[in-house]
Parts: sequence; C-alpha cells; structure tokens
Amino acid sequence: MGRVPAQKPLELILARNLLTSISTPAFLVDEHAALVFYNEAAGALLGRSFEDVGKMSPEEWTATYGPFDSDGKPVELDELPTTRAIRDGRAAHAVFTVRSANGGTREIESSAFPIIASEEGSSGAMIFFWPQDQTHGKDK
Amino acid sequence: MRIKVWGARGSVPAPGPQMNRYGGNTSCVEITLASGEHVILDAGTGIRTLGLDLTTSPHCSILLTHLHLDHIQGLMFFPPCFRADADLTIWGPASPEASLEDRVARYISAPLSPVEVRELPCSVSFRDTPPSEWQLGSATIRCEAVNHRGPTLGFRITEGDTTLCYIPDHEPALGTVLADTEPEWVSGYELARDADLLIHDCQYADDEYPDHIGWGHSGMSDTLTFASRVGAKSLLLFHHDPLHADGFLDELHASARRKWADLGGDPTAVAMAMESEELEVGPASSPAGLASPV
Repeated sequence: MGRVPAQKPLELILARNLLTSISTPAFLVDEHAALVFYNEAAGALLGRSFEDVGKMSPEEWTATYGPFDSDGKPVELDELPTTRAIRDGRAAHAVFTVRSANGGTREIESSAFPIIASEEGSSGAMIFFWPQDQTHGKDK
Repeated sequence: MRIKVWGARGSVPAPGPQMNRYGGNTSCVEITLASGEHVILDAGTGIRTLGLDLTTSPHCSILLTHLHLDHIQGLMFFPPCFRADADLTIWGPASPEASLEDRVARYISAPLSPVEVRELPCSVSFRDTPPSEWQLGSATIRCEAVNHRGPTLGFRITEGDTTLCYIPDHEPALGTVLADTEPEWVSGYELARDADLLIHDCQYADDEYPDHIGWGHSGMSDTLTFASRVGAKSLLLFHHDPLHADGFLDELHASARRKWADLGGDPTAVAMAMESEELEVGPASSPAGLASPV
C-alpha cells in the first residue's frame, strides 16, 4: 500500500462530512490555517471545485482568492477571521471581497468558528460565507 | 498473540436459545500476549465469564473504547474486582469533564450498584489513554478517536510483527462515501491500516442501515469497504445487533464473504465473531482459523 498523508483528526473529518452535506458555502482549515477542504457551494462561489485546487497554504489561498477590503487592498492574513479564530480560540466575523476563478469579485460576509477538541488547542476552523448579493440561499 | 472472544453482542445483552451459538454477552475480547500477559478489550458482560477463568493472581490491563453501558456493564461483575490479590489497570478515553474513575463510578455507585469503586478489594487504577503509543508488556498500544456517538476510541495493538485492530463501535461512512474518500479523511484508517486482524463493528445488515444512519454503527458493506480500504488481512465482524439471532448472523456472514470476494478478498478471511471463539493472530496465520458460516 502506498504512502498516505497523515490521518486527519476525527473532529476535522466530522467537520468535513458536515460541510459536504450543506449548501452554505464553507471552508475547512487545519491548525496551521491551511485550506484542507471547501464544499461544493463554496466551489460555486469561487468558480473552482476543491478537487481542482487541492490543499493550499494560507499564503496560497489568499493569493488565489483574496480577500480584499472595501478599498480593494488585500486583507492581512493576521486579520482574517480564520486566523483570528485559530489564534484566539473564538469566533470571528468580517465582510470582505473575494476574487473568483473567472476574475469576477463577490462581496461576502464570513464567520469563522474554531474547532477545539482538547486542551492542547485548536484543530482548525470552519469558515462559513454569505454572499452579500444573495438572500435565503438563492440568487436574487 | 492469541485472542478469545468473551462477548460479541452490541447495545444490550441478548440471551436466549436463538442466540446460543454467537452468544448474548456484550463486547469483551481477551488478548493473551506472547509474554503471557493479558490485555482485555472492553468490559461488556462477557468480562464476567472471562474473570471466572482467571484462576491465578490476576494482573490485567483493561482497555475501554468508551463508556457506553454495553462496554462497561460487566466491570462490576468481574470476579478479580473482588480479589485482594488482583491488580487491575483500566485505560479509557480522557474527558475534560471528569476523570475516568469518576465517570466509571457513575455506574459503580448507588443507586445503580450495591458497591462503590473505593470499596473494591482489588488494586485498581484508572488511566487516561495517552495521545502517543504506550507499552503494555510485550505489546505496543495506540489509540485514536473514531466516529461513534460520544468520545470513542479504537485500539491498535502490535506485538512483534503482528497487529490487531479493535474498533467495535464505528460509523466511518457517516456523511461520506467510503469507497471514494481519501484515506486521510477516513475515520480509523491509520489505526487499522494493514492489520493482521481487524475486529470491527458490523451491527447492521445493509437494508437495516438506512434506518440507523448516525447511530454510530456500520452496515455490513461499509464494514467490508473500510476493511478493504485499510488492507486488513482478516476481518472479524463484531458488535452484533441484539435482534440478530444465530440464523440471521449465519446469512449475514455468508453475504459478507460473497461481498468480500467481490472486493477482491479471500472470502475465508471474513468471520463472524462468536462467543468463546479463540484465534491465533499473526502475519503467517491462516485465515482458515476463522469460523466458517454454518
């Protein structure tokens, strides 16, 4: 049997299974804030499926998708809800703009929730997105 | 290493003449290491009869996968608990809420029990399972959290070049398609990988599973897919539903062997756990040692 990447902790496996089953766009990141999964709804938002892009470091996914603030400037990695959720162990929220694979932009609200399975700290975070031009899960 | 199944039933004891061959006692498997030491997997009602069999001064390690009643119910009736010369170490999942001893004591205390843990004459210690491997006699033990309802462990026991994996309560297919999921995202994958013997939850027949999704147990095809994905050399189907009588389990076994062959495996490498059954586990051991369907 070939070499297999390190087993993910159960809480990330369960989180991925949950995200797979819902239509709210969502990311899953590990304890280093590396993007380890996003669901089909997030793929539709970003224009590319996770299967097409695979695991990405925080630097890679911010270079690919942004986000950008209201002035069009890249949001610092340290200020992203994802980073804050993992660093501080509490939920974080922000509104920003992301760039999709086709070059278009979408303004979205984002809430990140840390996944804390033990006293050792965070195993990662789930990040949910709500496009500002979308209501009740359907495009206007 | 050698194993003996003392209880293979899940959820609740299921005594009765229609259960005689596979047995009605809940989860308990004894491992006798090459060094002669005993490691006991779970303390379901099967541990009572195991304890009757321990005639010499008992020094045992009991590994609890979790604290659901069918995995601890026999502890209060384990004869060595009432022997002053017995020395027991009970390992189980850690919790931020209470110590392992305090959580087990919720069962071994009034009004559920006539005795308290502190009254037991044996020497007993409770230990949280460590996050890294540890040694018990000549065996190396590793555990990981696996997908079940509530904090639950699976165990990987390695002695020399022989590996046994025990995951009695497990629903790895919940919310995912097991056959397509990348290995690192499959609950229990690394724990069970390349095991010489995998003892795994197979509570439901495939047509029963849809009504029990999320209950923390596996349907037969998911069990076989999991075993195939991890490269288990032989498979003991475990944690039989209390409604499954001997005849039903025979049919389930025969069906499992056919499906295992469809997955490219040797059908004789799949067996149904049966109370009082003893198996020699090793890389060179023949799966023919496993019981055949009647």
